[in-house]
Amino acid sequence: MRPLVLQVDDLAKRYGATIALEDVSFALNAGEVCGLLGENGAGKSTLVKALSGVVSPDRGEIRLKGDRFRPTSIVDANRLGVSTAFQELSLVPSLSVATNLALPDAPKNAIGLVSGRELRRRAEATLADWGAADIRPSDIVDSLPLGVRQRVEIIRALARNPSVLLLDEPTSALSDREWLFGLIDRVLKEGVSILYITHKLDEIRRLCRRCIILRNGQKVLDQAVSEMSNDDIFRSMAGRSAVEQFIAAPSAARPQDVPALEASHLTGEGIEDVSFALQPGEILGVAGLEGHGQGPLFRALVGLHPLRGGRIAVAGTARGLHSPRVARAAGVVLVPEERKTEGIFKDLSTIANISVPVIRRVSPLHFLNKQRERQLVEQVIPDVDLPEHFLPLPITDLSGGSQQKAVLARALVVGARCLLLFDPTRGVDVGAKQSIYRMMRAFVHDGGAILFYSTELDELVHLCDRCLVLYRNHIAGEVSGGALSQELVLSLASGQAAQAQPIAGGSP
Amino acid sequence: MSLATRLRPARGAAIAVLIYLVMYLVYAISEASATSVFAITNLLDNTIVLAIAAAGLTLVVLTGEFDLSGIGVIAIANVVVATTSVGILGWFGALVAVVLIGAAVGLINGWLVVGLGLQSLAVTIGTMIACEGVALVILAAPGGEVSDTVANGLTGDIADVVPVAAVIIVGVLMLWFVFARTRLGIAIYAVGSDENAAGLSGLNVRRTKLLTFVLAGAAYGCAGYLLSAQTGSGDPRASNTFLLFMYAAVAIGGTSLAGGRGGVFGSVVGAGILTVMQKMLFALGAASFYTSVFSGIIMLVALFVGNLSVLRLRRRRRGGAEWQSATPRP
Repeated sequence: MRPLVLQVDDLAKRYGATIALEDVSFALNAGEVCGLLGENGAGKSTLVKALSGVVSPDRGEIRLKGDRFRPTSIVDANRLGVSTAFQELSLVPSLSVATNLALPDAPKNAIGLVSGRELRRRAEATLADWGAADIRPSDIVDSLPLGVRQRVEIIRALARNPSVLLLDEPTSALSDREWLFGLIDRVLKEGVSILYITHKLDEIRRLCRRCIILRNGQKVLDQAVSEMSNDDIFRSMAGRSAVEQFIAAPSAARPQDVPALEASHLTGEGIEDVSFALQPGEILGVAGLEGHGQGPLFRALVGLHPLRGGRIAVAGTARGLHSPRVARAAGVVLVPEERKTEGIFKDLSTIANISVPVIRRVSPLHFLNKQRERQLVEQVIPDVDLPEHFLPLPITDLSGGSQQKAVLARALVVGARCLLLFDPTRGVDVGAKQSIYRMMRAFVHDGGAILFYSTELDELVHLCDRCLVLYRNHIAGEVSGGALSQELVLSLASGQAAQAQPIAGGSP
Repeated sequence: MSLATRLRPARGAAIAVLIYLVMYLVYAISEASATSVFAITNLLDNTIVLAIAAAGLTLVVLTGEFDLSGIGVIAIANVVVATTSVGILGWFGALVAVVLIGAAVGLINGWLVVGLGLQSLAVTIGTMIACEGVALVILAAPGGEVSDTVANGLTGDIADVVPVAAVIIVGVLMLWFVFARTRLGIAIYAVGSDENAAGLSGLNVRRTKLLTFVLAGAAYGCAGYLLSAQTGSGDPRASNTFLLFMYAAVAIGGTSLAGGRGGVFGSVVGAGILTVMQKMLFALGAASFYTSVFSGIIMLVALFVGNLSVLRLRRRRRGGAEWQSATPRP
């Protein structure tokens, strides 16, 4: 048996009325990777913060190599041998990579000043040591792509020579996961223990022998990964079966009807000659690797991104959708990518977040009629499985998944006929994902149309009637029906099969 | 240039220097005596109070906070120097006193903001009003007397060629360039840029903010001391018009009022611009009220140009989501 490094006993933490952690206990051995799984809001982040010294637990005890571990700050935790690569990334945007790597105590020279040359020299050595010699130490962090920032964040945690390393969703923006896996294997040999938080089961299977699952702040499972099937894991996380995750439903598309949304030859910055027709009852997928034009396309369809040419028609009528307001009036609603900054009004209640576009309709004489507002909102929240008792709460008290349900409810409440969903399930727990899938199915069943971008290929494959694949800002191909597979989409998206299938049909 | 890249190229400050040079050139062409030692000394004397006060304010602004207490501290410092520099404290004692008073006000500001979590804008409005009141208590009406050592020593030239004000400004800038390379200097930028990330990176956010308020207070004290040297007397209301000019100097110098970007160098140049502009307009024969019109326009131009790079950066960063496949890569 390997020596015990970290032992957590009956850890508890509550924020106001919310129980974040309730009597969580587990142990971590030297040279072990332990997976930590759970839906959003299950308590993973709180556990990470308690272990890294950011929050102090209300009750319970942590022991590090047998000694009581009560870090008063993150610096204290680092000193004692626990370091963390945070999900939200803790790099300071306006400083260089080199300075960030040196924080909080940049090396000083003889007269007490921080030497830029020394900083860069050390950063070069550190980056090279961790297989990231391609990152330039002098680059300012906020000029770097998210994936590179995440690598720097991970390297900073590794470079502190921890005995316990906490990795919180370390691959959420990473393009080369093998790089991280290699580093993990390397530090494991040195006896480092790793707590690995992720949503991705394949990573758990690749890295961890054991995994812990949290649900509603409690530990529900602590078991060897090899003994569990994916369904076992999903079931433990969601508390119910996830087999019904993708209901195979017959397509509701009506190809003979007038297209709900038709784009012809759209051109603009990041959009090159994009044409498609979205039929009523159809879920039309959009796939593409990062930065291949999906963002501009979705924004352009509601007038948030300038177009140089092309034509947009809604239900057969040419429309200039030059602002989200005009688009909304035409029945076209975008559910944007960044929920926190573009989706929710964080200081408003959940009900106000949903009713905001229709506030005029429920405000005779300009005074808000709360009853009518509630009636209107209650018509749509069952569609997204948003519990009624959430309505009066501040939206920031809700989990990410429930917030997203509220954002979708807002799109429904205006009576949209055409939804543009940009990665609606990102950062959303398994339960909420299922609700979103159900809502999408019901929406198209009633004759609505959905343009659906997702970073998760299996969603596209299982939910869409057809899928457009973007490559270098134009449509590289379109796959539909039986031909729709992850492999084909991926090969089109990476430009490998650019000529192969201009239009649907055939197998890869 | 590693330092420059680390602290992000100060585009705003470079623009400010350019504006300053153009204005000085216009001033020098239209006024023959502008390049005399006397005129330069006079110009710098007019600049220095605002420059030092803006330098202090810059530190607080860089952390993303507000500080309006500056003019209150300057008022107290002015009346303290006018009542004590001839007599009990002497010129040096008065200097120590005003620096300590400024630091104490800064400490109060910092404690209220950091310790109690109050909003800095509201807190420093409060301390500003209180300080102005204290100045009136110390000296109810303009008057008092400033020691000749102060009044003459800080306004003249060394050996009739080098203005004392120039020496002070160069000293402050050197101090700043050294300070920006200390751990505290880096921490100030980090805190202003992203407070949460700075905390998670292990920096002490509260201590950093507290110290900037204290340092800023001390700088306001020095500015008040220099103001006394200029005017030669005490006037509890002499600094009344200063507040907006301090902020204007900071903004023109390219420091973001949201924190994290800019620096003291730019603010000092910004103060210089506001002063040389008056001289330039006067030399051109423009009526004095045009000065305000110009100050405003210059500030807007500086803001616009300084923000171009930020706007461009924001556009560049707006990419789509990264690809996440549930299956391993082929």
